[in-house]
Amino acid sequence: MILRLLNRACVLSGSVRLKSTLSTFFDEMGKSGIILKSATTGIFENLALEDWIHDHVDLQNRSMLLSWRNSPAVVIGRHQNPWQECNLPLMRRLGIPLARRRSGGGTVFHDFGNINMTFFISKKKYDRHRNLKVITSALKALRPDLEVAATDRFDILLNGHYKISGTAAKLGRTSAYHHCTLLCSVDRSVLSSVLKSNTSEVIKSNATPSVPSPVRNLLDVDPTLDSDTIMNAVASQYSNEFGFDGPVITVDPSHEALMPGIHKMAQDLQMWEWIYGRTPKFSVCSSLVVDDVTVKLDMDIKNGAVEQCAMEIPEDWLPSEMVNEFTSALNGSKYCPNEAAVLVAAFTRTVSVTADVAEKIHRLCAGVVSVM
Amino acid sequence: MLRAASGPRRRCFRCCAVRAAVRSVHPDDMLSRSRCLTRSLGRSISALRQGNRALARRARHQVSSSQCVSVKSGPSCETRSSVYQIRYFNTTTAHRNEVITVKTPAFAESVTEGDVRWEKAVGDTVSEDEVVCEIETDKTSVQVPSPAAGVIEELLVPDGGKVEGGTPLFKLKKGAGAAKTTAAAPPPAAETPPPPAPPAAAAAPVGGPIPTSMPPVPPVPAQPIQSKPVSAIKPTAAPAAAAADPDAGAKAARSEHRVKMNRMRLRIAQRLKEAQNTCAMLTTFNEVDMSNITQMRTQYKDAFLKKHGIKLGFMSAFVKAAAYALTDQPAVNAVIDDTTKEIVYRDYVDISVAVATPKGLVVPVIRGVEGMNFADIEKTINELGEKARKNELAVEDMDGGTFTISNGGVFGSMFGTPIINPPQSAILGMHGIFDRPVAIAGKVEIRPMMYVALTYDHRLIDGREAVTFLRKIKSVVEDPRVLLLDM
Repeated sequence: MILRLLNRACVLSGSVRLKSTLSTFFDEMGKSGIILKSATTGIFENLALEDWIHDHVDLQNRSMLLSWRNSPAVVIGRHQNPWQECNLPLMRRLGIPLARRRSGGGTVFHDFGNINMTFFISKKKYDRHRNLKVITSALKALRPDLEVAATDRFDILLNGHYKISGTAAKLGRTSAYHHCTLLCSVDRSVLSSVLKSNTSEVIKSNATPSVPSPVRNLLDVDPTLDSDTIMNAVASQYSNEFGFDGPVITVDPSHEALMPGIHKMAQDLQMWEWIYGRTPKFSVCSSLVVDDVTVKLDMDIKNGAVEQCAMEIPEDWLPSEMVNEFTSALNGSKYCPNEAAVLVAAFTRTVSVTADVAEKIHRLCAGVVSVM
Repeated sequence: MLRAASGPRRRCFRCCAVRAAVRSVHPDDMLSRSRCLTRSLGRSISALRQGNRALARRARHQVSSSQCVSVKSGPSCETRSSVYQIRYFNTTTAHRNEVITVKTPAFAESVTEGDVRWEKAVGDTVSEDEVVCEIETDKTSVQVPSPAAGVIEELLVPDGGKVEGGTPLFKLKKGAGAAKTTAAAPPPAAETPPPPAPPAAAAAPVGGPIPTSMPPVPPVPAQPIQSKPVSAIKPTAAPAAAAADPDAGAKAARSEHRVKMNRMRLRIAQRLKEAQNTCAMLTTFNEVDMSNITQMRTQYKDAFLKKHGIKLGFMSAFVKAAAYALTDQPAVNAVIDDTTKEIVYRDYVDISVAVATPKGLVVPVIRGVEGMNFADIEKTINELGEKARKNELAVEDMDGGTFTISNGGVFGSMFGTPIINPPQSAILGMHGIFDRPVAIAGKVEIRPMMYVALTYDHRLIDGREAVTFLRKIKSVVEDPRVLLLDM
């Protein structure tokens, strides 16, 4: 009996030692509200941090605010279609990554001039208007003559017209999180060019669409409003609203020991199957012009992979068997320029073609890839 | 069963009695209400016995409404708008093949409707609390977990369809669905792009099969009688569940699943086999002492990085060596055109470098290597790598090539025979660098050695040419000054 007790005691202490994760740290702090700030600027690490807190921290009697910023990235909502929402070729050229978050809503562009704020709370006390009021009150406290107000669509408008914040949320089983952006000094030209899709006219989909709005930076109306000032103001307003006080804790999402499993969460968020493969089924119907010849292209894409591909090409330009082989080569492949290029390259290797037919196939492939 | 049936009745009498005590209730009223209760109870029990879902649902609602009348005391009298009410009547052991309908949960913040996005498909096995679908309402994503473990029988709303709180979402067949055998959804037609011409030891990682497709959802039937829908795709679910084989669980790991070869893979396989049948393929080997090139790299890598902005690797040495040897032995750079029975000699050298990527084997081409130096080659390799990373590789970057180099050494291969990548005539296989004792000037020394292999088409290239070619590569890599001296 004593031995058993001893064993149990040992096991307990062992597990307690292992369990000094971030969530136990919060439990030990015993505060009803905590303000966090992320130490990194990687979009995937920060999204993983959000998910980790949502999954592992007990939010029944606690509320938390996490503020974070990222290096340039485009973030689409859970059920959106990236080809419809942003200009993927431009993003690839500029080296701007694409991320898909787990909450719903529309597409946003992040860079260092944008502050993201996530409000974690239990499902019972979930109230997005209250959260947005924290932000608008904080801004008004900083600059009383600033005209900012939240709409019933949970946007925050500046001067009643320009959107400076958009919202998205996720409701889990017992807890929920509501996050929003805040435009302080974002590069507006990059934002508008990157969020304008180059293929939206040819796509037919029932994915959640974004509602484009004219945007403004807070820095444009008041050059003294920088990100740090705003973050501190929001933090203190949050403390007032939720009735607690404490320092802002900086969290490093790469700290695997403190947050076990967070590394894998960040990896999962970067997988092609998550970012592109989770797109609801859509179809592409486009007319390409290749070498003065009009090619009609019809593709059905499901889970990011080409389910069906059909092309109408004049017989004299390319023989129909070749066209059939080309389309069947694309069937089942990921809807991705590299994959298509690899497949077509392999395809040309398997057919003995003259140089000019090979050229035509190359240009046809380039045309098809232009919609990916 | 009878006891359970009488239970609520008894309790409700108590509740009604309490109310009667508080204020005068018309006796007939009370009696008729209780009669209604027993009638609806009886109906729901018989409905269940017949397996008649819709009627049971209606009966359940009636029961719930009449229970609403009594005082809210105790969980038995509480209304539950979910499926759990069915359990209340089944006091016998859980039915194995019971199908329950899961409804949309109520939305928060006075939101009225949302879009459904399915995570699971018909025939998928889910565990309790596993997410079956997500509902997007007004920028919010809500997960709908499964109330119990089972197999998804039917999806009642199409993907992207609109639902309101309480709308039936899907049907779940309760009970532990057979684990592996039910995973046999219609074998997906294609894998992710197959690797072209796999050279030696290149274990090309194949992407997983495309996930199960979701069949078109039948419309919710209007008539009350509804036979249990037998999903056409899941014929194995029924016998697996009914088999009640105690060994089924233990043996589940021995199943197999078939994936149809896609056309690309078939074509490449065909082409490869064709090449093997027409070419007289054989391989010659040699070994390369990597000490000089390693020393050169160590000495110059920092300055190289500073000047050119990219790292100096070993590939550039081998690529340049191959180009040099190819210009020296033009037969290796040529190819036989089987249709016209001609030998095509090419005076340019395009070297394809086989690269294993997570997506499979990719063979980008470095064009015009004969005019490039080590720095140019490294820059080109780097550019191609960047393009691949940024998802910008074009067909032109991967098509053509007069000679291929494949590096099995990155996977640790020591020795091996690469296979020619049609329509070329030869391929150089590089293997791993391992320290080995070798004889140098009568003494044994430990040197970092790499085995190299050249597989060539003997119809075109004879043994002497092949061996000379390989020895040229060896001499250039062992002492790059050979290039300057044109030896």
